[in-house]
Amino acid sequence: MDDKRGRFEAQVLPHLDAAYRFARWLSHSSADADDVVQEAMLRAFRSFDSLRGSDAKSWLLTIVRNCNATAHRRQQRRAWVPLPEEHDVEDGHAMIASTPDPEIVSMCAEQERTLTRLMAALPEDHREVLVLREIEDMDYRQIANITNVPIGTVMSRLARARAGLKSQWLKDVEGELRDVR
Amino acid sequence: MTCADRLTTQAYFDGEIEAAAAAGIERHVAQCADCRALLKDLEQTRAAIRNMAQQDAPPALRARILRSIDEEAAAATSRSGPLPWRTRPFWLGAFGGAAGAAMAAMLAWYTLYPAIGNPLLDDLMTSHVRSLMPSHLIDVASTDQHTVKPWFAGHADVSPVVADFAPQGYTLVGGRADYFAHQRSAVVVYQHGPHVINVFSWAGNRRQVPADTTRNGYRMMFWEVGDLNYCAVSDTGWDELSALVHLLQQSSARDKRDSN
Repeated sequence: MDDKRGRFEAQVLPHLDAAYRFARWLSHSSADADDVVQEAMLRAFRSFDSLRGSDAKSWLLTIVRNCNATAHRRQQRRAWVPLPEEHDVEDGHAMIASTPDPEIVSMCAEQERTLTRLMAALPEDHREVLVLREIEDMDYRQIANITNVPIGTVMSRLARARAGLKSQWLKDVEGELRDVR
Repeated sequence: MTCADRLTTQAYFDGEIEAAAAAGIERHVAQCADCRALLKDLEQTRAAIRNMAQQDAPPALRARILRSIDEEAAAATSRSGPLPWRTRPFWLGAFGGAAGAAMAAMLAWYTLYPAIGNPLLDDLMTSHVRSLMPSHLIDVASTDQHTVKPWFAGHADVSPVVADFAPQGYTLVGGRADYFAHQRSAVVVYQHGPHVINVFSWAGNRRQVPADTTRNGYRMMFWEVGDLNYCAVSDTGWDELSALVHLLQQSSARDKRDSN
């Protein structure tokens, strides 16, 4: 039994941060995300024997996604307004990170908040593939496995998520410019 | 103007294209202003997202989770007897009930809602074509059915008939798991001369299998064995395809006799 605990710690626990990030993007508040992750980890531990070799991260993220869907249906929440919480964004973080693109280097905390808001406003099935691809660095096959859709659907959702994000971003920037004038 | 190859260009950007095919896409991008702009957008979007502050699990949450797992592990060792569910908290039962209700609702949705068009054919088609791209064909390469069949147990939701028909000209080359029809379906791959034949199998939900058809020049033959649906897809002729289907059906019947 302790052996199971040890194997779980070695194989699954390293993906706890990924599980948490994914849950944050899926759920409606940080408290919800905490609950979802805790339930998911416990469920993962119970069904750990069903993870035969292979891809622990995909397996865990699939459980997180299922737990979130269940919690969501259970609660039947009011439509949520995705507002990033104050502590979500540490000011100045974007300035420290290094990237070759000057447009991105200059991205300030304000823009990061905007991006968070726009991503949160994407349709859920678009947002999840985008998060899995760009933040969790999963390949198409893994994303298809986690979200339970064919690879072709992953590709088109990803394209629409990226295009939607870009057009909303442009709209947002234009809106701000109008406000200034 | 929107280029029809945008999804391919995106796949190239995401590193899903083999080096050999990538050269062709690079040539295309060099000539296609639309795809060049797309690549730039993709890079900017990626950089912006990856540049965002990402939060790790808070230490308090991590500690809480570890504690609950320790409790669970301890409970599992102490209760070697029956009725393990008695020791579980109430909310787990409630949770299970909710999950069950949700599953029932989904099942009802999928069985009652009339199919619009037939996305299944498109999914099979896409999966077949993608499998022909380099290194996507097989997850487990083996001509031995006793290697391929057990592999599915860990990677797919169904256990299809697997047999090598090399003497009849259909060599088993391996298997692969693919997502479609809302499940992890199993694909058995055969080589017949220069042709690749993908044999898909998935749990049928008591829906009728489609009639045999041709899509984009690929032939698709459907059949069912018990609650399993099968589809063989290939660019061979109908006769060659139906010969393999016949062999597989015989093999299924043999398996069934043996297990009775």
